[in-house]
Amino acid sequence: MRTQAEPQEMIVRYSMAERLLHWFVAITFIYLLLSGFALGYPRMAWLNDILGGGQTARFLHPIVGVAFTVGVVLMFVIWLRDMVFDAKDRAWSRDLRNYVREGHSSVDVERFNAGQKGYFWFAVLTAVLLLITGLPLWFPTLISAGWNQSARLLHHVLFLLTVGGFIIHVYMSTVMLPGTVEGMTTGRVTRAWAAWHHPSWFRKQEADRN
Amino acid sequence: MTTELGLSIKRKSATPSSGTNIRRDHSIKQVEVSKLVDIDLCIGCKACEVACKEWNDLQVEETHNFGGYQSHEDLTASTWDLMRFNEVDLDNDGIAWLIRKDSCLHCEEPGCLLACPAPGAIVQYENGIVDFDQDKCIGCQYCVSGCPFDIPRFDAETQKVYKCTMCVDRIGNGMEPACVKACPTGSIRFGTKDDMLHYGEEKVTKLKDRGFDDALLYDPEGVGGLHMMYVVPRGEMLDEYGLPDEPTVKGASFFPAMSGLRKLGSVATWAGLLGAAVFFLRTGRRFPPPEDKAVASAREKGGAAEGEAQPPQETREEGRQP
Repeated sequence: MRTQAEPQEMIVRYSMAERLLHWFVAITFIYLLLSGFALGYPRMAWLNDILGGGQTARFLHPIVGVAFTVGVVLMFVIWLRDMVFDAKDRAWSRDLRNYVREGHSSVDVERFNAGQKGYFWFAVLTAVLLLITGLPLWFPTLISAGWNQSARLLHHVLFLLTVGGFIIHVYMSTVMLPGTVEGMTTGRVTRAWAAWHHPSWFRKQEADRN
Repeated sequence: MTTELGLSIKRKSATPSSGTNIRRDHSIKQVEVSKLVDIDLCIGCKACEVACKEWNDLQVEETHNFGGYQSHEDLTASTWDLMRFNEVDLDNDGIAWLIRKDSCLHCEEPGCLLACPAPGAIVQYENGIVDFDQDKCIGCQYCVSGCPFDIPRFDAETQKVYKCTMCVDRIGNGMEPACVKACPTGSIRFGTKDDMLHYGEEKVTKLKDRGFDDALLYDPEGVGGLHMMYVVPRGEMLDEYGLPDEPTVKGASFFPAMSGLRKLGSVATWAGLLGAAVFFLRTGRRFPPPEDKAVASAREKGGAAEGEAQPPQETREEGRQP
């Protein structure tokens, strides 16, 4: 972003535990995404070749799915306190159009803005529902064909929703808003990033430091 | 019956437009084959079971006495043919001793094939035979729940599903299936679908003449007809034979819905990626302003929040940097 000789002062955004958890969920999600495409779309069955074959993908997909859901539940536990909606989030949501256009909201945002909170709740909800609708597909002989087929449809709809969420999530954190993904890799963000995107959270960090 | 014609592929699982038949007249049912089990002639000898094991080189499975003439309790991944015995008390005189050769019925509309998500793991030939290609099977078992007749069996060791092939390897070489060959009474017959229908209808007429008023030819429409039909003398006892009254391919509305969902999914995924690309071209990257400006703006919001307890009306700053 800026070329300067002296090291820039950084603010800790995510702890080691938070980052580990995020990347655990991310890697399991990407595996589920690829194997899900391979299993659900006949024309994408070639993906099985890079996943060790269809039988391997079929075997691992539900197991990785459980691991993914466990990761999301842990995320739910550690981030729940930061993810409760409040009055500021309503203001942010009203300002959504501007946020999309400018990549910035005038609202005095806390650690997470309403969009991030929304994505968090979306991820938790879809993860749980994907596990529930995935169980009949894991053990198809325990239920009737009708239930199996209904579960396949629901699992597929949820899958498509998460694909949409995933595209937005990755685009925003890497391409759209520079300095964001560093928070999840190095754990640190610049003071400018923190003050600009999460002013209220930034002031608390400053106050804690002084 | 031309085997070369018959073994053209009619359709494959999870493979749209998979037919390969370019030859004339394939709409005419001249190449369709069928078995027909005339239950009236069956003596329950189990020669078909043994012949099936021998030809397909399937291992013998231990069994135990569970109070009847039936050799094993159920079909397994290596028992593809089983004589099912059932004794039913009749109101007036004695019992009805029901014997049915249970093996794949090779539906014209195979629930297994339609449910299968693994491309090419289940194949239907022009001659009507439905066959599993275990090499392509991923072990999901959707076919097991998709079958209206509870035929396919999952093997825990190989993690694949197995069933009767109708001895497609024999038929391809001009021979009849092993069970047909072994049957000592001619109860299991093999020929073109037309011939078998003809035999079956004649036999049903004869049975009715003999007093079996409910005799019927079992070739249910709900699965498009079968390539192993039954002549059932006691048609009123389908349940007791273990045959569903009106079997159907489960999920007639599921398959179009799934297909539509896949198309929607493909379009939506590409549209999402394209949308992100166009959004990028329009708005580019959003850098924060220089540190002093960003920090000043944050502190200003802090002051406003303390002072008025409401979101500040701040002039929007230009976030992009050159």
